[in-house]
Amino acid sequence: MTFVRLAEVARVHGEGATAVHALKGVSLEVDVGELVAVMGPSGSGKSTLLNLAGGLDRPTSGTVHIGEQDLATMRDLAALRRRSVGFVFQDLNLITSLTAAENVMLPRELDGLRSSLARKEAMAVLAEIDAEYLADRFPDELSGGQRQRVAIARALVGERRLLLADEPTGALDTRTGDEILQTLRARSDAGAAVLLVTHEPRYAAWADRVVFLRDGMITDTTDTSLVSAP
Amino acid sequence: MPVRHGLLTLLSRGPRHGYQLRVEFEASTGATWPLNIGQVYTTLSRLERDGLVKPGESDEQGRVVYTITAAGREEMVRWFSTPVIHSDRPRDELVIKLAMAVAAKKVDVAEVIHKQRTATMRALQQLTRAKRAATEGAAQRLVLDSMIFQAEAEQRWLDHCEAVLKEER
Ligand SMILES: Nc1ncnc2c1ncn2[C@@H]1O[C@H](COP(=O)(O)OP(=O)(O)O)[C@@H](O)[C@H]1O
Ligand SMILES: [Mg+2]
Repeated sequence: MTFVRLAEVARVHGEGATAVHALKGVSLEVDVGELVAVMGPSGSGKSTLLNLAGGLDRPTSGTVHIGEQDLATMRDLAALRRRSVGFVFQDLNLITSLTAAENVMLPRELDGLRSSLARKEAMAVLAEIDAEYLADRFPDELSGGQRQRVAIARALVGERRLLLADEPTGALDTRTGDEILQTLRARSDAGAAVLLVTHEPRYAAWADRVVFLRDGMITDTTDTSLVSAP
Repeated sequence: MPVRHGLLTLLSRGPRHGYQLRVEFEASTGATWPLNIGQVYTTLSRLERDGLVKPGESDEQGRVVYTITAAGREEMVRWFSTPVIHSDRPRDELVIKLAMAVAAKKVDVAEVIHKQRTATMRALQQLTRAKRAATEGAAQRLVLDSMIFQAEAEQRWLDHCEAVLKEER
């Protein structure tokens, strides 16, 4: 079952002579329970693609659906994002004056959830990624990998069924990077649709499907049958 | 010779017979280096000839148990203390194929790179699945990691080729 669907999506930044065609007619679907990785060099349009898929940005042409909803017809995109979409970015932007658990609770409290309930949900999601023991630490008491896992917990909290991760392994060492991927993988195995942007082959390889983006176009994916030379 | 030294290392943990050595060798290399039992016995008889192991009595099932000798232990230590040099490694078909594609001019190099990159990524996905399923401990996972790093290096090199050739055009 498809959860996100981009159909012939184009995005032009700016106008006239300085216009940048960041995406040129990209079609991509991510199913429930599927982990799809988008690979490409810097400037190929990966972040633009992810932002469009999560409703942070609107396409110049083409359509984006999340679930049954056409994002172009949605009045309150922010509410949909909060309820259904979790974002993980490279710069983690955890709030330094809040503990890990409080950071994870925050989006749910913004949704109007009672504090005690938000805390319960936060602890559950921290437990799910084996990070319960970090709950009461402040961001500057965490390693880079631990901070990133808390950021992922925050993106996961509250049954969000679409997870969008933009270079979530950043400058982490490969063992910590593997842990991040382990977490994303577990989440998709549990039924979330996950779209991961990375330029690192070793992390893309955790995906069910890898899509190669070049100059705003998909040039190849690993699911098309390919007759390789002997 | 990695098989030879691998068997010596396993024997340094205690006497074993050939079948046991084969099972342990495969388990610790994550079955990435399958050995047949004939290979194990040929290697053991060479090790015996060189005085690095010695055969003992047969067990109740008639299997000969081998023990490492002092010279064998020395040889193992020497192996671990010597770095591996890749100077004479076999030439890589992919490197030659790409070099030829560039030289031939009429071949669509970008297409060769795309096809290879997708195929290498599939291999990388398979290795990653195998690593996730790996249950036989750290040695097995590290062997798979080694292949993952190699596939990744190939992938990076292909990206690099693409970028360089794009500039040349
Ligand atoms: N807000 C923006 N305004 C103008 N150009 C942009 C903007 N966002 C991205 N771009 C351009 O669009 C192209 C794709 O960018 P991006 O999606 O960030 O690529 P990637 O994430 O693969 O590095 C780049 O050329 C970039 O400079
Ligand atoms: Mg980007």
